[in-house]
Parts: sequence; structure tokens; C-alpha cells
Amino acid sequence: MSTENRLGTVLAPPATAADARVPQWSQFTGLYARELLRTFRNPWVLLITVVQPFMWLAFFGSSFSGASPAIVETLFHTNNYMAFLLPGVLSTSMLTVGMFGSMSTIQDKRFGFMKRILLTPTSRSTVYLSKALGSATRGLVQIPVMIIAALAFGVRFQGTPLMWAGWLLGLFFLGFGMCCFFLAVTSSSTDWQTPGVISNFITMPLMFASGALFPAANFPGWMQTIAAYNPVSYSALLGRGIVVNGVPDWTYLGYLGLFATLMLVGGTLVASRYLKIE
Amino acid sequence: MSGDAIRARDLTKIYGQLSAVDHLNFTVRSGSVFGLLGPNGAGKTTIIKLLTGLSEITAGEATVAGFDVRRDPMQVKRRIGWVAAEVILDDDFTAWENLWLQAKLQRVSAWKPRAEQLLAYFDLTDRRKDKVGTFSTGMRKKLEIALALLHEPEIVFMDEPTIGLDPSTRHMLWELIAGVNREFGITVLLTTHYIEEADALCDQIAIIDRGKFVATGTPAELKARVQSDFIEIETTELVDETRWRAIAGVTDVRTEGRSWILRTPSAQTTLPNVFAALRTDQIQRINIEAPSLETVFLDVTGKHLDAAGPEVHDFRKFYSTVRRARQ
Repeated sequence: MSTENRLGTVLAPPATAADARVPQWSQFTGLYARELLRTFRNPWVLLITVVQPFMWLAFFGSSFSGASPAIVETLFHTNNYMAFLLPGVLSTSMLTVGMFGSMSTIQDKRFGFMKRILLTPTSRSTVYLSKALGSATRGLVQIPVMIIAALAFGVRFQGTPLMWAGWLLGLFFLGFGMCCFFLAVTSSSTDWQTPGVISNFITMPLMFASGALFPAANFPGWMQTIAAYNPVSYSALLGRGIVVNGVPDWTYLGYLGLFATLMLVGGTLVASRYLKIE
Repeated sequence: MSGDAIRARDLTKIYGQLSAVDHLNFTVRSGSVFGLLGPNGAGKTTIIKLLTGLSEITAGEATVAGFDVRRDPMQVKRRIGWVAAEVILDDDFTAWENLWLQAKLQRVSAWKPRAEQLLAYFDLTDRRKDKVGTFSTGMRKKLEIALALLHEPEIVFMDEPTIGLDPSTRHMLWELIAGVNREFGITVLLTTHYIEEADALCDQIAIIDRGKFVATGTPAELKARVQSDFIEIETTELVDETRWRAIAGVTDVRTEGRSWILRTPSAQTTLPNVFAALRTDQIQRINIEAPSLETVFLDVTGKHLDAAGPEVHDFRKFYSTVRRARQ
């Protein structure tokens, strides 16, 4: 079948039931690129992305600057507190990236753009995946900035490039898993406030009940239990092993990969059913 | 393309206890402009949602461009375009980038020549590299129609396309919509609550109220159906219905409290009889409607189109709020 009009003749897609499964790659790449373009064209996003890591390290990193090296060594098992802190801060920042993906999705629903997308041959799971990956990518941008900031603060790192690549993959797994989780939880919401409320509810316990900022060995029992199942702990411990000691424990990477996979599968199922259009 | 672009049989949508779309049967001929005319909340947008696979059909069935909406929604979406009531574009993107994204979503690989032709057709070539946020409402509407046409759809759904626009922009869009249908050979399903819009653009009109079609036909057929004038009178006190029916020339009477609608073959000849039957201080307001789509609606529903639904939003205000929120 073809259509002919003033703009020429174009073959229409074959009209068969076998063609019901429309490939999604083009739609996915378009929506993923849209996420990145919208994010990084915003000068405020860029500015905060660059400034925030410096602030983290300046404020948090300075909190033990007056302590004697012996106390730091006792508490953190290293006298390089900034190097101890860096993997934890990066893991913590990956916790919050999911919130931005959620807010972007809610914005698309409220302004009708979700309807525009879903009136094209684009599946809900494609929308979901592009949002999750877009948010995770946005989170990754902070990593090189943070590392440069740490170098600027005079931090010295251990580990080989391969170890660092493994750690970055772990951070990506953490961020992607959190994005999948956030998007699934907010898939049926159109309320601007929901992502912020959920973020506050989740981020705080996950951040402090982990080994990201303080050694979990000093936690009470119940917090140690949470930390034992907290993906933030594993991301921080993986990075700390590499950055501080140059000795990675790759089981943490496996755990983070499993976490991302579970969140992706569960989130896709939830979003494909409950993702609202408006 | 020949035959029917859209077929609906017993199309029904129920939300809780409410039948938003109530067992509708209709066909839309390929290449025609089909109008759904009705007040806000009548079920027009719900019909579009059902036909485009955005909302699940409760009962009945529909085919669009030859595909079952429920079984092959993706195939339907490859063959349709959509123009929203409110303009939905990426304001941070240029016109060209919006077209690029639409091409990605519709999986059109060789989209650039088509996009250039559309920009030229809609007189937007000079603004292709400008961010859409800087466009006037008319330009944004044009770009939205261009997006809807990019993948050469067989059918374009236009949901209240001119709502909230000033008269000159509205008339400009009418010409464009007629041109899209005429020159591109595309079937258009249009919803509107503007009677003059339906009259100017549509080959076939279905008047819808509370989820049901109350009249269908060409604009000429619908107007011929009434062939009566209507005298609307609001009285200062209750008047017995028998008094109205006794007036010479009045063929039918409808009432709601102190508002009366008198049907008559000629308002000009009947009006003196009305004045003779009532004291002048009993008449608060009087209005005469000659045969039109408005009187068709009045005839079949007993109310005016603009008074039948919830209040129409201030879309100018809405647009500016949306733009501010996006910035």
C-alpha cells in the first residue's frame, strides 16, 4: 500500500499481524538523546554539576581537618580521609539521580509530552528505559568532576585503570538501579512533589545506614543489618578498596550488577503496566 | 487510500459509573474531514484516546487505517498523526530538532527532505534553527501540524486544534487544516465545540452529548433537519406551558424553569403572537436563533453548545502558564 500526495510517494509499512512488534531502537535513541540534551543545555544544571562535588569535598572533607592523624587512622583505617570519603560521596550522589528522572517523567506527563510520545509506535518500556538510562548518565557526569575536585584538594589515589573502570561500572549499576526504582515507584504519579518526598524518605536512611560516609563497623546492630543489604555500601566499599588500598573486592560489583538487573526487570514490568500518560 | 479510514462498532468507554462513550457506531470515509461537535466533557477526546490506543476500550471494537485498535495499536500509531488542543512541543529545542525527534519516534529514517518541504509549506523555513519557545502560538500550531504530517500518516486526529486562539490565527489554521486534507489527501478526525469550525471544515459531523451521538450528517443535512427558528425567552415569573403551546405558530415548547425554547417555522411571524400572549414586564430576555448547527444542537439536546458543558478554560492563560513553567 502506498500513499501519494503533494510531498511525493512513500511506501506505507506492511500491514501484517507479524509486524505487530515494532522495533524500538530509533525511539529509544531519540528519547535518550532528548534527555541528555535537555539536561545539559540547562546552564544551571551544568553549574551545579560542577560546583556540587567541590562543595561536598570542601565541607565534608574538611570536617576532620582539625583531628589528629591518629584519630583519623583509628576511625577510618587510613589517614587519607578524602580518599576514604570520595567513593562514599560518589555513591551517595548516585542515590539521588533517580529523582531527576522521575521529575522529568512527571513533567512530560503534565505538559502532555508523554501523550505525544505514546501516540507514536513507542512502547511504555522504551520510555521507561530511556528515562532511567538518561538519568543514570546524568549522574555519571559528576564522577570525573568529583575526581578532579579531589585531585585539586591534593588527594592521592591507588588502583589500576582497569580497577577504576570496574568501580565506575559499579557506580553506574547503583545509579541505574536507583533510577529504575524511582521511575517504577512514581510511574503512576503526576504530582511534582512525589519524587522529592520519596527521595527524602529513601536517601537519608540509605546514605547513613551504609558504609559510604562512616565505617559500618561502628554502627549498632540494626544499622549494620541495613548496611549489609544496602547497595550504597557495596558501591562505597568497592570504590574504597580500589581508591584507598588498590585492592578491589569484585563480589561487590556482582552484587551491584544484580541489584541493577532486578530493578530494571521489576521496574520495566511495573512501568509497562502503570506508566500514566497524563 | 479508499474505503473507510475509521470504523467503530458499539464503541464504549466506562469510567466507574460514567459512560463517557456510549455504544457509538460510525465510519469515517478516507480522505474526508469528520467532525465531532460537542461541549466540553461530551466524550470527544475520549473517542480520540480510544481510537489511538491511548485508552482501553471497555466494549465494542474499532479499526483505524485497517488495523484493530486493540490488537494492533502499534500499527495504528504508525499510520496516524495527532494535533493536541494545547501545543505540545519541546520549547528548548529548535523547530528542526523537534522534527528530528518526531522522526526518531516514528522511525522515519529519510526524514530531512520531508521536513524541509513541510517547513516550507508552513512558512517556517526561516525559523528552523530557532528555539520553539520563541515562536508565536500560530507558529507553534503550524509546527505541531508539521510534526503530525512528518511520517505521512493516513489519518490525523485533531483535538480542539483552534481552542483559545484569536480569530485571525483560527482562520489561518482552518485554511491549513483544509489544505492538509485537500492537498495531502489525509483523513482528518477533528473535535471541536466551535460550531462555525465544524461548519467550515467538516464533510461529516457527529454531534455528541454525554457520550452519545445525538445527530449525524453533513452540515447541510443537519441544518436542513431543523428547518425551524427557535425563540428563546426568559421570563420574570413562571408561565404555564399551555399558554406557550396556545400561541399561533409555536410547534414545540421546551422549558427549564423560567427559560423557554419555542420552535416555530418563522420567528418573524410568530414573535408578534408571543408579545400578544405575554405582558412586556413578564419578558426578561428574548433571543432568536435561525437554522444553524447551533439550532441543531439546541433542537436535539435542548441547550446551547457553549452552555452544555463545564466552563471553557482560558487557554491563553493556560499557554502562558505552561511556557513560564517550562522556562
